[in-house]
Amino acid sequence: MASFDLPDSTDWLDTSLSSFEPLEAALRCQVCKEFYDTPMITLCSHTFCSLCIRRCITTDGKCPTCKKEGQTDKLMPNWVVGEIVERFVKARPAALELARRDKEEKKGTSGRKRKLDDTDLEDDEISVRSTRSRKTRTAAPAGGADMSDPIAVVNSEEEGDYVPEGMVKCPICQKAMKEEQVYMHLDSCPGQKGPGGRNTRSRTNNAFSNTFQHQSTKLSPSPTPTRLPQLNYSLLKDNALRQKLHSLGIPTWGPKQLLIRRHTEWLNLWNSNCDATHPKTKGQLLKELDVWERTQGGHAGFTEAKVMKKDFDGNKWATNNKDHFDELIANARKKRTAPTEGEEKSEEKKEGVKDAPKVIPVQYSREQPANPPTETLLIPHTERAQEPQTDTKPSVDVARPYEGNNEALAIIRKKVDEANNNSNSSSSAGPQLEGEAPSLRPSEGISNPFSSPSRKVPMFQVPEDPVIEVETKSR
Amino acid sequence: MTSPASKRLFKEYRGLSSDPPEGITAGPVTEDNMFLWEALIQGPEGTPFEGGVFPAKLEFPKDYPLAPPTMQFLCEMWHPNVYPNGTVCISILHPPGDDPHHYEQASERWSPIQSVEKILISVMSMLAEPNDESPANVDAARMWREKRGEYEDRVRENVRKGLGL
Repeated sequence: MASFDLPDSTDWLDTSLSSFEPLEAALRCQVCKEFYDTPMITLCSHTFCSLCIRRCITTDGKCPTCKKEGQTDKLMPNWVVGEIVERFVKARPAALELARRDKEEKKGTSGRKRKLDDTDLEDDEISVRSTRSRKTRTAAPAGGADMSDPIAVVNSEEEGDYVPEGMVKCPICQKAMKEEQVYMHLDSCPGQKGPGGRNTRSRTNNAFSNTFQHQSTKLSPSPTPTRLPQLNYSLLKDNALRQKLHSLGIPTWGPKQLLIRRHTEWLNLWNSNCDATHPKTKGQLLKELDVWERTQGGHAGFTEAKVMKKDFDGNKWATNNKDHFDELIANARKKRTAPTEGEEKSEEKKEGVKDAPKVIPVQYSREQPANPPTETLLIPHTERAQEPQTDTKPSVDVARPYEGNNEALAIIRKKVDEANNNSNSSSSAGPQLEGEAPSLRPSEGISNPFSSPSRKVPMFQVPEDPVIEVETKSR
Repeated sequence: MTSPASKRLFKEYRGLSSDPPEGITAGPVTEDNMFLWEALIQGPEGTPFEGGVFPAKLEFPKDYPLAPPTMQFLCEMWHPNVYPNGTVCISILHPPGDDPHHYEQASERWSPIQSVEKILISVMSMLAEPNDESPANVDAARMWREKRGEYEDRVRENVRKGLGL
């Protein structure tokens, strides 16, 4: 996992500059925990990476820090923070190295003399080698300002070897840069790794250190792209949206929900790239979208769609999940039978005649107990509240509440047979209690606002995971 | 291929291992999958949970930190805010948009600036101070409210069991 070897603010803790830990933490985005990349400030004065805050706002429309409403088009660049971060990142490796060494020296009291000598030697060596690199860097990095000369030299040497997080070296001029920028940089790389090439480059780098001032004049293969507007997805038909995606040059497969998420992510990537000082090419953005696709999008097995598929096989679902249904039925029944026996009977006779797809609404009641809004539609509140009182281990023996109660069992069996004769349900319902599943629905007995004879399947699909988890765990 | 989520989780893991908060250990079960973590929480001192060590698992969504993880204790927990199956129910683990009970302030709920560390610290303080306004385990909440002695005995019993005593 070498790619995960990332610098972190806690690097400072074990050095003599432990107070740099909070300093560095303050220069990192609270969302991604990286150094700010294209920092943007919100109307509520909180700063995040451009991409991070765009993703947050498109997810829930709020500032992650204070939860105030936010809009992506109200974001403004925070140049100062950007520059501080840039300077700090450059100064960091040397400062960290120094602080570490200092700590070590303080630790080892016995071998101190020798160690100091070593350090001196090293410094000499380096200063010989790095005269050149000092020349090329007309200004020492910010962190080196208060350091003595040899140290400043170590600084630039370190920088040559150390590649900061997410950065790689240009194979030609050895300059460290973001991985994504390499290709773009190669087009305009000023030269071989020779003193000459480096000189030219470092002059452009340092003459006016504020890179942001160069935004318009910088070498860029493409003109500054314009921001993309947001779409009102609810007004767009599938095909129109697909058309939009096609014209943007991004993949157009998948259901509408996925198209919307993909378009949103593309907007975030694209618009945050517009904020950047060194915009990436569209090809690089497409690669990032592909990473998104594979980790969160259509290739990730990430089912977020709440709308049920048209070809949803209700019967199969009912059969596959019979155990859960049975358990719930038994559970609900147990609480209902006594007071409403007669009423239930007549209702159930009616239900029995109806067709199998009607059983599906019961899925609502199968949501985990933590989710009352749907459940309360089916089971009155009082019953839920009572459950724990009547039964210290609520989930234990609910599957066979009639065990031993022959009279009740007899009634149920009779009803099941009746129902089986009347209904053309293909369910494997037998005369036992477990077999009653799809034809006898206590939830149908209790008023079910979603049931209507014309609708065969409910509008919404119940998430599969929570249900199964709760049920199996409680056994 | 590293997603922003796994990158951030790795960072949190690094932070937690180099500067762990007192009484808390957490990390991914295997480094191949950053989305499933295991955590150990010590029972806070001065509470009936004192002396206990409680294992839990954390599952992270693919779009973490935009959405919160879920947390489930892997041992028996008798606590008003822990479901009988071990799932922890506290406000910091609830996404901002989802509050069927309207018990919680939006500011208490999940936000991308929260972290595993903050979750675990919140859970620790939840052990010390249950919130019986929206109990996940009604029995435990009632016992906590009405028969504190019995509640504490039961918790201590669980602690002893958990330690194999």
